[in-house]
Amino acid sequence: MYHLALKMLLGDRAKYAMLVGGLTFATMLMTQQSAVFFGLLKWTTSHLSNMRAKIWVVDRNVQQANELKALRDTDVNRVRSVTGVAWAMPIYVTIQSAKLADGNFKPIMLVGLDNTTLVGRPPIMLRGQLEDVRLPNSIILDELGIQRLSVGRAKPLGLGDTFELNDKEARIVGICRADRHFFGYPYAYSTYTQALQFAPKQRKMLSLVLAEPAPGWTAEAAAKQIQLETGMKAYTEDELFWSTIRWYFRNTGIPVAFVSIIVLGFIVGTTISGQTFYAFVHENLRHLGALKAMGASNSLLARMLLVQSFTVGFLGYGIGVLLVTLFGQVVLARGDPPFMLPWQLPAATFAIVMGICAFSALLGIVKVWKVEPAIVFRG
Amino acid sequence: MSASTSTQLAVHVRAVTKTFGTGEAAVPALKGVDFDARQGELLMIVGPSGCGKTTLLSVIAGTLNFDGGEIDVFGSPLHAMKPRHITEFRKRHVGFIFQQFNLIPTLSCIENVSVPLLINGVSRRVAEQKAAAMLDQMGLPGRGHERPTNLSGGQQQRVAIARALVHEPRLVICDEPTSALDKDTGGHIMDLLCAVARHPERSVIVVTHDNRIFKYADRLTEMEDGRVQRVHGQGGNHDLIE
Repeated sequence: MYHLALKMLLGDRAKYAMLVGGLTFATMLMTQQSAVFFGLLKWTTSHLSNMRAKIWVVDRNVQQANELKALRDTDVNRVRSVTGVAWAMPIYVTIQSAKLADGNFKPIMLVGLDNTTLVGRPPIMLRGQLEDVRLPNSIILDELGIQRLSVGRAKPLGLGDTFELNDKEARIVGICRADRHFFGYPYAYSTYTQALQFAPKQRKMLSLVLAEPAPGWTAEAAAKQIQLETGMKAYTEDELFWSTIRWYFRNTGIPVAFVSIIVLGFIVGTTISGQTFYAFVHENLRHLGALKAMGASNSLLARMLLVQSFTVGFLGYGIGVLLVTLFGQVVLARGDPPFMLPWQLPAATFAIVMGICAFSALLGIVKVWKVEPAIVFRG
Repeated sequence: MSASTSTQLAVHVRAVTKTFGTGEAAVPALKGVDFDARQGELLMIVGPSGCGKTTLLSVIAGTLNFDGGEIDVFGSPLHAMKPRHITEFRKRHVGFIFQQFNLIPTLSCIENVSVPLLINGVSRRVAEQKAAAMLDQMGLPGRGHERPTNLSGGQQQRVAIARALVHEPRLVICDEPTSALDKDTGGHIMDLLCAVARHPERSVIVVTHDNRIFKYADRLTEMEDGRVQRVHGQGGNHDLIE
């Protein structure tokens, strides 16, 4: 009987298209908006993915990775002296203005790495040698920086080219790939000492300390020990990631805006699918009543409706996720807007779409359950 | 008398009552109906609109619950059976022919006819083979893959008859089978139903307003105001049939 159920569904092309379209739209809205939301959240933690360390030591009042309060220069040695710390390296993070060829300015995120170890180095080097960053006035710029700072030039910036960073000459010795910052700033890496020279002098210049637990110590235990002995805040990478995410949830309207759209997608999907499927069942009630009169049990009719509903669900979901994936490929190639599609996201959307289908089928099932087979004898 | 004790009786109805609605809105549709249908006959139930003939047909077919009385259909006491068993009974033993045919327009004729077999658990391949053979018997060879909407009214009713008979039911219930057809087509359909009723272990019950087809009945039960008024035909009055 299930093949007949499907033929009944496919035969009503307008409703079939409406059902699949509604679920495709709902899938797209929920998945795409969630992917952009997750991408945006990932941007908020770009420091973590671009500098990578097991322990992050910051001022005791720092709650998230993008709001750093300067430490004293001696604090790095205090961390090094803590039992359970294998090593600790200073990092300087600052936003500076880079001058473009056309005279305009663009902000960049300048990261000063420990001169010797280069801990916090760029995740992927595309061109040039990492070690060259130790040369005078040297900068390693990410792809976005190359693109942004090339504006007004005859050809894009390359290795050996120079630009003006806070009134000082900076020479590009490497091009790297880095995750984009939440505010859209490109990343530029230099050594700690040179970064201090690019930036205007301040009383305290150390932004944070990256550390590694000693052998036999977990990152959690070492972080706890650092807090105990220094009074500074020490996060494990995971803790800082989630602390940052939570901060954006609490202090910005971003989650509310995205969740509203995601909920809207759910409501639209449920409404279109539920209403259309109900109308489909209602229009076929006489035929379903005839099947009931001929001896089709309520459970058989319910299974037929479930087959119909889940078929459009699978199709709508499949098309929706395909479109989102294509959208993702396009935006990832452009780098904007943010986009992140972990497998859990389509899996969650799948569960929601199937829930919508189950609900839609349930509306029809209740209707069919109540119908008396004698309906077929009424004129 | 009980149907199980009489091999001649197909349907045995005694003192059946049915009321729609409750309180002041209650409308009694059947007021103690006594009624018999025999095996191997085509019996018609006639009467004015609202007299209860369709309600009677519905309760005999097991598609509508009744309030009181007893109904035996080929030895099965519907009044004592659970709804699940009544559904099972309909599935195996009752074929339906409806006024508006009730063919599913998005399915082919073969698929429509195969429905009762599929409901009875027959495989799709066998069901469609039997459905095609039944359509041939109904004079529709080669039309099995067409949609019902491509057929004339008479042809659609033939498809509906094929669907009603394909699982070889013992009781065939027909609700106004000719009212949507012209005189000649209606006549052809009634010829077919008469042939169907000639089966010794089958009974065909037809509800109709259409006095042009009264002559096809073996017996004719006349209803009025929720009761059987008289029976015409074998052993009774032949006036109405003639």
